[in-house]
Amino acid sequence: MKVQPWLAMAGALVLGPVAPVFAQEDSPPPSTEQKVEELDQKVRILERRAELAEEKAAEAAKTAGTLTAGKDGFSLRSADGAFQLKIRGYVQADGRFFLDDTDRPASDTFLLRRVRPIVEGTLWKNFDFRIMTDFGGGTSSVQDAYLEARFSPKFKLRAGKFKGPVGLERLQSGADLLFVERALPTNLVPNRDLGVQLSGDLASGAVQWTAGLFNGVVDGGSTDGDTTDDKEIAARLFFQPWITQTAGPWKGLGFGLAATSGDNTGAIAAPALPTYRSNAQQSIFTYRSDATAAGTTIADGARERLSPQLSWYSGPFGLMAEAVTSRQEVRRGDTRADLEHRSWQVSGSWVFGGTASYKGATVKTPFDPANGTWGAFELAVRFGQLSLDDDTFPIFANPASAVSEVSAFTVGFNWVLNKNVRFVLDYEQSSFEGGAARGDRPDEKALLSRFQVSF
Amino acid sequence: MKIGRWFRPLGLGLLVAAPLGAASLLNVSYDPTREFYQELNTAFAAHWQTKTGDKPTIQQSHGGSGKQARAVVDGLEADVVTLALAYDIDAIANAGLLPKNWQTLLPHNSSPYTSTIVFLVRKGNPKNIRDWDDLVKPGISVVTPNPKTSGGARWNYLAAWGYAAEKYGSEEAAKDFVTKLFKNVPILDTGARGALVTFIERGIGDVFLAWENEAIYASRTLGQGRFEIVTPSVSILAEPPVAVVEKVAKKHKNEALARAYLEFLYTPEGQEIAARHFYRPRLEAVAAKHAAIFQKVRLFSIDEKFGGWTKAQPAHFGDGAIFDQILKAGR
Repeated sequence: MKVQPWLAMAGALVLGPVAPVFAQEDSPPPSTEQKVEELDQKVRILERRAELAEEKAAEAAKTAGTLTAGKDGFSLRSADGAFQLKIRGYVQADGRFFLDDTDRPASDTFLLRRVRPIVEGTLWKNFDFRIMTDFGGGTSSVQDAYLEARFSPKFKLRAGKFKGPVGLERLQSGADLLFVERALPTNLVPNRDLGVQLSGDLASGAVQWTAGLFNGVVDGGSTDGDTTDDKEIAARLFFQPWITQTAGPWKGLGFGLAATSGDNTGAIAAPALPTYRSNAQQSIFTYRSDATAAGTTIADGARERLSPQLSWYSGPFGLMAEAVTSRQEVRRGDTRADLEHRSWQVSGSWVFGGTASYKGATVKTPFDPANGTWGAFELAVRFGQLSLDDDTFPIFANPASAVSEVSAFTVGFNWVLNKNVRFVLDYEQSSFEGGAARGDRPDEKALLSRFQVSF
Repeated sequence: MKIGRWFRPLGLGLLVAAPLGAASLLNVSYDPTREFYQELNTAFAAHWQTKTGDKPTIQQSHGGSGKQARAVVDGLEADVVTLALAYDIDAIANAGLLPKNWQTLLPHNSSPYTSTIVFLVRKGNPKNIRDWDDLVKPGISVVTPNPKTSGGARWNYLAAWGYAAEKYGSEEAAKDFVTKLFKNVPILDTGARGALVTFIERGIGDVFLAWENEAIYASRTLGQGRFEIVTPSVSILAEPPVAVVEKVAKKHKNEALARAYLEFLYTPEGQEIAARHFYRPRLEAVAAKHAAIFQKVRLFSIDEKFGGWTKAQPAHFGDGAIFDQILKAGR
């Protein structure tokens, strides 16, 4: 039966109040009290559901990983900390300007000194890894790629490519350096090498020991493989007797000794010998090489290094000192020699508005001009020397192009805005013995600047 | 270093002696046993000290029975488990942490006490709930935890199913009955204790399907005078089992302590404590003493109606099984 809509509406209006009465025959209409009770139940159910959802979320949060971003970089971490992934890195935009270089011109340049993304992490709580590449200077290279098993704080095993345990300043991260460039002794110690290393901290870190077997690299060099069977052992002992103290001037004092020993054999095409650089990264020493057996000096025998080292950080004051001797048996044609080169450096610094440390100056109040805080300022000075063995000249190196000694001093000013950003400005001056056709190579004066962002 | 070498055995000796002197035990249990095991632990510690001279430390962990079993399988180092149903301990046995014949190692299928499922209703029973049929009526709000996560809830579910299958004569009718029942459940808590909070503290629902011990505890302790217990015409015999997690106990070198702890549950003292916490004791003398607490009810066992947990669990509570279908139909 079709009912006209207007009729239905009228019926509804007339019968509306009566309809529930009919309905009451089966089930009486709910009273106001019942309706309120029903609504009250609904509200309670909704509240309880929300409460259970919160409990579930809290429970899930206990086992869920966390994603954090902050001054130490970006990280993913499982709830129990057994698995972690950290994304870090640093970029150094440098300027390098030479003064009074008319006699021996050098290029003034802006450059990307280091562009280093870092991925590091932990697996199963005790296994760490680190991968660091470098795109600085328009090239790309793998700087670090290693795995480390932490069996206990006293005993760790590392394998892969990483810094050899020798130079004090070399072991400092490139992002934590006091000056734009490392000092002269770094010329004589290994950079990154491939191998296996055991290490650990004894007596709550008061004694740090490291020993490893490596391919072996030339002074200041890095490697991605080895074409010979020659290998090198390296070891380092470093003491920080007062490190466990909560405070005190000696807490940051450390001293130690590092050494390497191995064989190194080169060939005419690959002499396996180093080039040394000034603090302003200019080549100042190379061995003779003309692609002939008679005219090329090659490594041929034992190579040994020894490096006593010391660092001391106390409040705003910082001091670093190290010396290195590097001995290498060389040969040119039938002429052999056992050459020993030496280098040392001492640097001191004072931080205004922060504290000095091996990991770079820390800032008390980060840069925030709106609140009148400007970060920390650091003044630094450094002296150093590199002396080549007298027997090097003239047979194994050309005295007209290779210097026999360099003395350098550096004055630095660092503006550390916060943990992540810093400006560095250094004045470098080096004076040389030899290294020129007549007399000595002219003094090298350079202004080095850096704008660094690290995280 | 010579001195170091001499001291090493002494150090090892001290390491071994330390745990012997301060034995500890972890009992991983289900939701409603908190208060029961608190009292039992104190009594057992005194008993063990009298017997051996050492006072053990007994820790307890509670949660939904299935969830607790998974935690043990995943590495929670329980020396003993006292769970809501045998299936959960079977899961631990299947993980190789205790022998498959664990139910034969202690009397009464390793169930030192029993319970059943009853109804807790609000004072005066305003919705006049008397038996299972009343729970499926429109407008009745039923509180029970989720059978997927709570052992107690599985007993609730099977009790309702057993009743309906018997009364209406078919599995289909039983499924229809239980589907209707779960349509009346507004919230599915993960454990029995959470469901108790829902019913008592949050004031939700007309009836709470509860372990008998939990219902008596709630009516006497949590909401004195606010609730009444309704015993249905028929219910299920719930047999919460116990077992030593032998692999863990062996690792902790406390197998003897763990075994003694569970055996203590069968002693008159252990049975008395169980009865005080409203679990039905196995020892007749203790049961007779507390007969007034427990209403007479016709009970069926899971073996009788469902062929045991090994059949009931996959058929009803496995992924995609009958309970999942019921839940899907009700939502």
